[in-house]
Amino acid sequence: MAAQFGTPDPQATRRDPIYQPDNVAKILVIPALIGCVVALTIGLYGKLHHATGIAVNIAGFSSPGSVKAWLATVAAVLALVQIGSALVMYGKVPRVSAPSWIGGLHKWSGRIAFIATIPVAVHCVYALGFASYSTRVLIHSVLGCLFFGAFTVKMLVLPKRGVPGWVLPVLGAVVFAALILIWFTSAYWFFSTFGIKR
Amino acid sequence: MKLRSPIITLLTGAVVAVGLWIASMNAATSATTAYGGSATPTPAASPTVASAGAASTAPAATPSPTTTSPSVSPSETTSNGFIIPDHANYVGPVQAGGGAIAIVLHDSIAIAYYCNGKTIEEWMKGVPAHGHLELAGKNGAHAEVDYALGHARGHVHVDGFSYTFSVIAVHKPSGLYQSIAVVRGATVKAGWIVLANGTEVGSVELDPNAPAPKAQAAPQLNLTNLTANDGGVTITAKSIDGETGSGF
Repeated sequence: MAAQFGTPDPQATRRDPIYQPDNVAKILVIPALIGCVVALTIGLYGKLHHATGIAVNIAGFSSPGSVKAWLATVAAVLALVQIGSALVMYGKVPRVSAPSWIGGLHKWSGRIAFIATIPVAVHCVYALGFASYSTRVLIHSVLGCLFFGAFTVKMLVLPKRGVPGWVLPVLGAVVFAALILIWFTSAYWFFSTFGIKR
Repeated sequence: MKLRSPIITLLTGAVVAVGLWIASMNAATSATTAYGGSATPTPAASPTVASAGAASTAPAATPSPTTTSPSVSPSETTSNGFIIPDHANYVGPVQAGGGAIAIVLHDSIAIAYYCNGKTIEEWMKGVPAHGHLELAGKNGAHAEVDYALGHARGHVHVDGFSYTFSVIAVHKPSGLYQSIAVVRGATVKAGWIVLANGTEVGSVELDPNAPAPKAQAAPQLNLTNLTANDGGVTITAKSIDGETGSGF
């Protein structure tokens, strides 16, 4: 879910052969540390907080599980939009030149996907907690923490100037891969176990 | 300094998360029980409430430790004015259509069984403690229960999902039934919950020793002779009854 906000201007800064910051690490270290703090905070709170089994429910669905599965599915579909629009923006799709609205599509699909994940994550962390009783659940818990950490890093890196060209694609790929694996270990499992239901 | 839009996105997400977190805390608090050694004891649980809940069986129950009600058996205790039975069967559906739960207490042992009548089932064990119970089973399944005479409520966590329940005490033939049998060379473990209205919910675990057991719907249990027909093989069930101690 690579919400890429500043419309990329690779020619101007990121791929500028002349402009090279004296130390790229200096630009990235603070966002990376903040991302680590976010991931660790979610994980430790989920582990230490006594899971309540209860969180606010959203009307119109049969159970918190189905709400989460559908919101996660919305986020996963928008994540595909994210990857598609990012590829177009970076000129990686042959014979497709980036239309003027592609930046807006990328930004808004990212924003909506991110907001859609928030109620899911709050329910996970508050009602269920960080758990490790099966491989599926452990992978899901670890990636859930990683996802919000990596997303935070990406958002903090976006406005910075002088970021090397590989950084945003890598961060976007990590965020996307984490989200898709999270979806497979939760919503996909939910739908295949309980059937596709509202 | 003008905030950049990615920062605004992050802050929006954080604000939404905090809002939902606070709302969740309120939701969890309001759903917490007020009786039986729960996390939020309510001193206002009055003897009138207790005797109303206990109906005809315990009209004289009071929270005073010096008064012993003749109608309450000596083993029963009170907590916050609620009568805490030592022997009871609670069954009922969990909220959100997730299946059913049975909680059976007999002295110092409690057995709980959750199943959805098809793919998911878990047996859990715990130790009753003054109206509060924590039970644990395989694969991280666990439940927290507050119970009193006639009523139990709490949460059950099974395979990553949590269900809230508020269930009533029942007598035979409603209750919990179990069968462990060898069918076609494999050990199968089946459980049935018979609800107060006679509805049966049952699941059968084809290989109880598998790391991630897969359950399926149990065959109909005949309550008159406690047998079920599992694909041509007759399996026999036993009642797990807290009132008689059967199955403990």
